[in-house]
Amino acid sequence: MPEHIYLDYQSSKPVDPRVIEAMRPWLSENFGNPSSLHRIGDQATEALERSRAKVAELINAKPSEIIFTSGATESNNMAIIGYARRNQNRGDHVIISEIEHISVINVAKSLAKNGFRVSRVPVDHHGAIDIEKIRERITDRTIIVSILYASNEVGTIQPIAEIGKLCREKNIVFHSDAVAAIGLIPIDVARDNIDLMSMSSNDLYGPKGSGALFVREGIRLNPLIVGGGQENGLRSGTENIPGIAGMAAAAEIARTSIAEESSTLLRFRDRLIDGVLSAIPRAYLNGHPNLRLPNNAHFRFDGIEGESLLLSLNDRNIYVSTGSACSSKTLEPSRTLIAMGLLHEEAHGSLQVTGGRFTVEQDIETLIDDLPAVVDRLRKLSPLYREA
Amino acid sequence: MKSTEYSEKVLDHFRSPRNTGTLEGDDIAVGRVGNPVCGDLMEIYIKVSDGRIEDIKFRTFGCGSAIATASMITELAKGKTLEEAMKITRQDVANELDGLPPVKMHCSNLAADALKNAIDNYRHNHAPGIEDSPTQSRCPDKIINQDRFTGNGVFGSVETERLRGKRVLVVDTGESSVAAARQASEVAPRVVFLTKKKERETEPGIMEKLRAAGVKTLFESEIVEFVGFTVLEQVLVHDLNEDNKYELFTDAVILICPCR
Repeated sequence: MPEHIYLDYQSSKPVDPRVIEAMRPWLSENFGNPSSLHRIGDQATEALERSRAKVAELINAKPSEIIFTSGATESNNMAIIGYARRNQNRGDHVIISEIEHISVINVAKSLAKNGFRVSRVPVDHHGAIDIEKIRERITDRTIIVSILYASNEVGTIQPIAEIGKLCREKNIVFHSDAVAAIGLIPIDVARDNIDLMSMSSNDLYGPKGSGALFVREGIRLNPLIVGGGQENGLRSGTENIPGIAGMAAAAEIARTSIAEESSTLLRFRDRLIDGVLSAIPRAYLNGHPNLRLPNNAHFRFDGIEGESLLLSLNDRNIYVSTGSACSSKTLEPSRTLIAMGLLHEEAHGSLQVTGGRFTVEQDIETLIDDLPAVVDRLRKLSPLYREA
Repeated sequence: MKSTEYSEKVLDHFRSPRNTGTLEGDDIAVGRVGNPVCGDLMEIYIKVSDGRIEDIKFRTFGCGSAIATASMITELAKGKTLEEAMKITRQDVANELDGLPPVKMHCSNLAADALKNAIDNYRHNHAPGIEDSPTQSRCPDKIINQDRFTGNGVFGSVETERLRGKRVLVVDTGESSVAAARQASEVAPRVVFLTKKKERETEPGIMEKLRAAGVKTLFESEIVEFVGFTVLEQVLVHDLNEDNKYELFTDAVILICPCR
């Protein structure tokens, strides 16, 4: 049996050893606080600003447009709540999609409890957003549209540039949660007309607890955390310099290696999709056949349930994810899959496989070899599966 | 759920389930329970002789604990009289498995219910004179926000052009709604038929027609609210079996009043 086969990079990524090296000095000898006026403080300030420039370069932004946060959840809160509160006098209507990350969904819910109106844009059966569905929801009270760059579950890449253009025409601010896409596909906030964009460090193989929000010049937000006025007054609190330096090193590696890495992952992904669909009857690919992240394969299998599938693969030291309810704390199945029109029983039989920087070909081949027997055993136990 | 949150006994029954499969014959009854929200579905087959469960088998679609609880109850019930078997509770099953994670106590602990259902069905089939009450088609009660979305997501007839490419829900209001669901399935990629009835109360012929048209059915369900801002975005569904409510994304609902 293989040692460990980790194919759940969407859930968590290891920190790249080069990133750990880049972080090390900022944990010990260079421990300064950027707010201090002495030389030790200056070192920290320089590191902070160098880091800002590196993260900005990855997405074609200006360094001054990067605000460091504790991660994407904070960035999403800062962007949507911060903008909505600041601009209440202009309108009270917010548009999100049905397949946003739970942090955006719950941010929208909290705004709805505080006097804002929220519309949710549906997706098609591939998990893609139709720009016309956004257009028909826009009213003269709409102030912000928030659409994720690519689905963190099924990997479908959204028509971000088109949405950005529409929002620009309508003079509505456009926020995108880019967590799933960053480091995997090239992102250019100028090309895409993005005004606010959330990123996390771990998704670039940087440390957890570190992230950033891109805030286009001229866009004003209300801060959620007040104090000493760090990060341009938007995010008070002494800067997490080791985390920020780590994110910056990770962003630099991502910028230089994205093309090669993504083409390898794409080859693995297509081999996996092909191998699984041809080896297992009544197996389907969830999400878009082409417009999908290069590291994402998302399957469903008639007649079986995802948690059982996960436990069985776990017994074989293979680690993946599922959209099944039984794997979630709330016991509700994946919103994304339900929004795509899957019934609950179908969403329950889903398997999410995401590769990453340290995935090797043998990982993919082992999964292709092991999966048919696992699926077959569970189907034999299932009242929902009949041989076609 | 993580494997480390399950007891060794649960994992053992999950890895090597006992008494799997089905049974056939005259003295057989089957119990079927399910929870469409958390997704588990369980079937227990019993073979009864002289008032005792002589043989028992199960099939389960569900998570690790769903499989383990079903496997466990087949061991507990085998050889017991129907009266004794009726007394087995969810707690008994959980205890025999050295406990279940708290969140699974309700959702994936359906085995005792499935066994009771099988025994009920056995008694029903073997007791003369009991007839099912015929179901009637009638106008459904007004749903919250129904007026707001009428013509804008909620339709009283099948207008195929407005349903093309959409996720459609059809509410069971009798024969015309079955026809509507089949018609809608010609233009819509996803049509779901929503009925208050239990699966065993429906006419197999109708279900077969719906299945053939690619229409999925949600049993023991009713819509309690339409949700949206400018257009219909979701419905709130009441699951009558488990008595809980959940949101379902939909673009169009067809609600035909048979009285008109």
